[in-house]
Amino acid sequence: MNVEFNQDQKLMQQSAREFAEKFVKPVAKKLDDTQEFPVELIQRAAELGFMGVAIPEEYGGAGMDSLSYTIMMEEIARYCGSTSVILSVNNSLVCGPLLKYGTEEQKQKWLTPLAKGEKLGCYGLTEPNAGSDCAGTKTNAVDKGDHWLLNGAKIFITNGSHADTALVFANTDPGKGNKGISCFIVDMKSPGFSVKPMHGKMGIRASGLSELVFEDVKVPKENLLGELHKGFKIAMTTLDGGRIGIAAQAIGLARGAFEEALQYSKERVQFGQAISNFQAIQFMLSDMGMKIDAARLLTQKAAWMKDMGQNYNQQASAAKLYASEIATWVTNRAIQIHGGYGYTNEYNVERYFRDARVCEIYEGTSEIQRLVVAANLLGR
Amino acid sequence: MKIYVCCKQVPDVAMTIQIKDGKFISEGMNYVLNAYDASCVEEALVLKEKYGAEVTLVLIGDEAGKEALRKGLAMGADNAFHISDPALNNLGSQAAAKVLQAFFKGRDFDFILTGKQAQDSDMGLAGGILSGLLNLPYVTNAVGLDVQDKMIVVKRQGDEGVEVLHMPMPSLITCSNDMNDPRIPSLKGIMASKKKPMEQVSLTDLGLSADEVLKESQKSSLKSFGLPPARKAGAKIEGDAQTLVATLMEKLTKEAKVL
Repeated sequence: MNVEFNQDQKLMQQSAREFAEKFVKPVAKKLDDTQEFPVELIQRAAELGFMGVAIPEEYGGAGMDSLSYTIMMEEIARYCGSTSVILSVNNSLVCGPLLKYGTEEQKQKWLTPLAKGEKLGCYGLTEPNAGSDCAGTKTNAVDKGDHWLLNGAKIFITNGSHADTALVFANTDPGKGNKGISCFIVDMKSPGFSVKPMHGKMGIRASGLSELVFEDVKVPKENLLGELHKGFKIAMTTLDGGRIGIAAQAIGLARGAFEEALQYSKERVQFGQAISNFQAIQFMLSDMGMKIDAARLLTQKAAWMKDMGQNYNQQASAAKLYASEIATWVTNRAIQIHGGYGYTNEYNVERYFRDARVCEIYEGTSEIQRLVVAANLLGR
Repeated sequence: MKIYVCCKQVPDVAMTIQIKDGKFISEGMNYVLNAYDASCVEEALVLKEKYGAEVTLVLIGDEAGKEALRKGLAMGADNAFHISDPALNNLGSQAAAKVLQAFFKGRDFDFILTGKQAQDSDMGLAGGILSGLLNLPYVTNAVGLDVQDKMIVVKRQGDEGVEVLHMPMPSLITCSNDMNDPRIPSLKGIMASKKKPMEQVSLTDLGLSADEVLKESQKSSLKSFGLPPARKAGAKIEGDAQTLVATLMEKLTKEAKVL
């Protein structure tokens, strides 16, 4: 594994950084305040090719590698958690499985517009009673001969409010638990498909979080993704890839808060000197920087293993687990360095803290990640 | 139209600049396209989109220079020349202009654009010297370009406002980074830039010897680098408007003594 980026990756980093500084940074606070989905920003991101980074050019993507994708995620999350997770869902959770499990026709019809950013995707796995426990999926799809009939509901669906295409996991063999789950590509304009925006989140407030409701939604037979009853495997392998993106997002959020704290410590004067002169602050800064570096290396290793075609299940979980936990810690320390000001929305660090916190929960809680790592260590 | 843009790679200003014993530490630095040159590329691409043109980039530098060229190609330039030779490291402006003079000898072009200065040295000399060596009409500090009746219409920022000049073709124009907002290379552009022609040019190809370049380079030499003094921490004044103004007045008169 080479720790220095190649030319493609360096140029990607420059483009993502320029985009983030020019377009994301100025609106990040407003997005959090208003909870409005950043339609224009996502259109700009699409024009630059950020919606299908690691998807081959023949399917409308940029044809770059997973490491490049983590670079983009970090640069954008450095300023805005909402914007980065919107990109993450489209790239990892929707385009990723369509590329891996889709037929050629499905790739042409569904993947290409999603990777180009002409359409937006969402990932319908979580239900009120089925989060970490995928086997509890209640949404069901019944074979009606020439189509599937979909009924049920999904919650906490990022991009739901503005997406065009949903990957929906549904029970196709009740009583079989994980072995009875299948994945469907669903056009969100289908009759019987409705979306209810969800508000009141602590962070990542502009990600179009929604509830998806299916009432007798007819899904064409050819929209089954992968094999029948093999949806659980699709969901789990998709989340492996998604976890690399969430790890990179957590690093970006931690870095954003760290940079603000570093700057603030040089400017804030107490007892007649900048607070960066005090060891108490220096120790915090040094631990923050160190943890961010460690998380980044772990994440880049997972991405590199994916690019090499190796099994990266353990590394993706370890990276996501470590990066999300240090992001909570680092953003919390950033508030501490800001003192009372850090507890107000006059500064960005409280937003970084709120945005970072969910990284320990979504796309597999920290507890699930520990189980995955342990299962790999114990060979189970 | 054939437009040449002379580019330079400069250390990424987003990174921490390290200096040791008066020497710049280049290890671990990222090198990027000089922002003034990026504005030239952008302007050339706008003219290309408007009137049709071939946009060619030229850069003197080591391997790191290729990255700057690739950024220009990713933005949309058509091709590039990478002039590279061990003797060309740390060139002064005079020597760089001499090398470029040799490069342009016998080449057909309508105009040459280059940044009015580079972000690293801020010398702002190479463009002017090159125009002299090539005996080309020359204008500095352009903030806008257009083409009318086979003349280049240059808006330049002067001391007392924007001046409009009509330049014949061929000419050499140095550009300000106030001229435009360079486009961000798309990922598609980045991947496509790998397939665009980038020709390697050596000193021998240019008919120059290392000694000749060294002689030019020695006309001026850089003795040492130093970091600017660290900025002192600022002071935050708090209170209502009356308190703010009173405190500020006191600081300006008694501490800063500027009033």
